[in-house]
Amino acid sequence: MTETAAGSEADFAHVQVGARRLGALLIGAGLIGLAAAIVLLVEKLELLVNPDYIPTCDVSPILSCGSVMTTPQAEAFGIPNPIIGIAGFAAVAVVGGAVLAGSGFRRWFWVGAQVGVTFAVVFVHWLIYQSLYVIGALCPYCMVVWAVTIPIFWYTTVYNLQHFQGSTPRWARQSIEIATGYHGVLLTAWVLLVITLIAARFWDYWISLM
Amino acid sequence: MSKNLALSLALIGVVGLILAGMLVWNSQDESSPEAVGDEPTAQLVREDSPRLSEGEEAVFVEYLDFECEGCLALYPVIEDLRDKYGDRVEFVVRHMPLHDNSVNAALAAEAAAEQGEFEAMYQRLFDSVDQWGHQSTSQAETFVGYADELGLDVDRFRADVNDPATLASIEQSRQDAQAFGVTGTPTLFLDGQRLEPTSVADLEASIEAALND
Repeated sequence: MTETAAGSEADFAHVQVGARRLGALLIGAGLIGLAAAIVLLVEKLELLVNPDYIPTCDVSPILSCGSVMTTPQAEAFGIPNPIIGIAGFAAVAVVGGAVLAGSGFRRWFWVGAQVGVTFAVVFVHWLIYQSLYVIGALCPYCMVVWAVTIPIFWYTTVYNLQHFQGSTPRWARQSIEIATGYHGVLLTAWVLLVITLIAARFWDYWISLM
Repeated sequence: MSKNLALSLALIGVVGLILAGMLVWNSQDESSPEAVGDEPTAQLVREDSPRLSEGEEAVFVEYLDFECEGCLALYPVIEDLRDKYGDRVEFVVRHMPLHDNSVNAALAAEAAAEQGEFEAMYQRLFDSVDQWGHQSTSQAETFVGYADELGLDVDRFRADVNDPATLASIEQSRQDAQAFGVTGTPTLFLDGQRLEPTSVADLEASIEAALND
């Protein structure tokens, strides 16, 4: 799982993550997330119509959405999570399109976007925790959502942080420099950490596949 | 190649190699004792699995979750079957907690079992599930109340509920369930064969058949 578009353009001294890169990432990740959320909602509806329906992603006891979709965690806010996903990822893709088309947003818009992606990444990590340690199963489509939400949050954050370069105390400026300078490495480390947790939690299962 | 890409690839390479190496190493480790075959990793029934009856002619296993609707619906059926066949069939309960409070409920049942009262707690949990089920808050205290009403030693009950070994046995049960392909509850086994009854009569016929073998 490599991070997308770690290209060589836009290597300006202080702008590591330019608008074009952010826009492309938001469109790509937003559309993938949207597709996963739609599939999850359709599977959920099938399951509601026919309780004996076996979701297409029920591969094994560990890799299964059937057991995950029917938990209370799948309706964390009283409505099925995929509904939140469809609205959220559609918004992400549209914002990405606007950024790519050259739209400049006022500061409050970026504040709102930051609040949104922060909510998303916190929610997704709660879901990762629930999936791994409480439910004990992995739902493949949900993992697609995890996989796109982390880069969406990360690159939106790095993009926004760039505006604070120079105007803050030294320690903060240095942190921002590291985050922006090593954005790809940090994202990779983050994703690898989640993969390692998944590998460790279901170690016996992975061994049984060998 | 930018430094971001190069470092990321290096990181992926290192973690990938470590994980792959451990996986290969562990799977070799695993295969040697398995070849001898003296210690199967998963068991349908374990020595410490709670029993509802001690009959010796057949073994009936139910993987259940005290909070699951299907298990609640099956509960009176199992009670009837126990009445009828309990002296000949061993009814074993195994945990497969899937809901908010089902782990707490399973812990309560196991802690009651430590005091020889599994059956009483099992019945109490199903009888009063409309009071504690489908709540997002922990019902652990409700279960302590049940223990008290059942005349159990409450301090010992609390200690057993909080004992990591109790949780470990439930986790073990869940892992066994997964190893046997149990993905939902209730899932039934009779003499090691998975049952998929479509009616109560069906279930009874399977038990009759096992007893007449």
